[in-house]
Amino acid sequence: MKKDMAAQEQEPTKSNQVDNASIFDSNHTTVQTDMLADIGLQKGFEVEEMRDYGAGPIDVVWNIDIHPALPKVKCGFVSLDATEGGGSQDTEDNQISLRKIEEAAVRGIRSGLDKVFLVAENEEMAKSVSGKIEWLASHGSLLRLDSVSLGLSLDQNDPSIIASSQTRVPQGSKIRKRAMRERESKFDKYNRPKGKRRTAEPKKRRQEREEKLQRFSRPRNQKLK
Amino acid sequence: MQICSMSLYQAPEEKAQLIDMLKAPIIQMGKDQGYEVVENYDLGAGPVHVAWIFKPGSESLPDMRLGFICLTEFSNRSVNEAIARAMLNLMDKIVFVVPTEEMTRSIKNAIESMPDRSILQLRKYVTVLTPSTLVSKSEILRSAERRSAQTGEAV
Repeated sequence: MKKDMAAQEQEPTKSNQVDNASIFDSNHTTVQTDMLADIGLQKGFEVEEMRDYGAGPIDVVWNIDIHPALPKVKCGFVSLDATEGGGSQDTEDNQISLRKIEEAAVRGIRSGLDKVFLVAENEEMAKSVSGKIEWLASHGSLLRLDSVSLGLSLDQNDPSIIASSQTRVPQGSKIRKRAMRERESKFDKYNRPKGKRRTAEPKKRRQEREEKLQRFSRPRNQKLK
Repeated sequence: MQICSMSLYQAPEEKAQLIDMLKAPIIQMGKDQGYEVVENYDLGAGPVHVAWIFKPGSESLPDMRLGFICLTEFSNRSVNEAIARAMLNLMDKIVFVVPTEEMTRSIKNAIESMPDRSILQLRKYVTVLTPSTLVSKSEILRSAERRSAQTGEAV
């Protein structure tokens, strides 16, 4: 996304005409909308701005023509900010409430969009949004929210798709867990058994263990009586 | 079961009161039918005001969950939120309970005016009604019969 914006800076576009100071004022959403519209136009997509299909306003819609024989793919962008219904406490904490996320996603779906991107103010917020979408989808609803919707921010460098921990953590990094398991199995081996294992334990082994525990569980300088 | 019509902008207390009023007959009706009734059913996506959970005939069939969400005002935002809450809380069907007939019409229109290309077609998923519509017709007929027996009129 940032790459696109860098290219955008080189070319004289609509958003360049916007004064830089206005990016940080209350028209942040409008600037975001303009940027998204410009990126869409640069990529050759048909762009619609501030459209309402009957379920609420969608900031930007990219109509992507992939093949003449196929229908256009509609990607919608909905800005999530403090004014998005309810209070602004959540955005101050870099967290957007589940209610706002759900509402924006369903707004896009009801508007007939194929993909709904929820545009957050910064990368941290965007990751939080994506995480919440994943969590909402994890309940197993008929609506796979995570396949339709995604959180992103315009200043993002890396892909906003969340990788599962199985793919994110390489096999080698599980060594620490293995060491922990080995240590726990040692505890099981040398500590006093509990439950059924306690009654099933042979007398001789119990004596040996108790002796070892006596010997090794006291400070080094302390002599045996 | 008379619900007074409220102004569009309500104080939170008024809103909560109205929701309680809308909820009460649904909870009672669910219990009378022998369903498991859960108030404020929430798996994490926000509360569904009342949920009726029942087995559809056979033990081997999965539980059916019928959700009721009370809407005190009409806006696209509230409708979107309610749909999201119902779907993400695994409701099989949802009923929007609204205080007035006008609101029923506006919500129905909003749901039916969805673009045809949308992946969600909510016509079969959402029902909109007022608490007075929930009273079974047999009860209305029975009361009418009783009245006619008293007055001697034909029903």
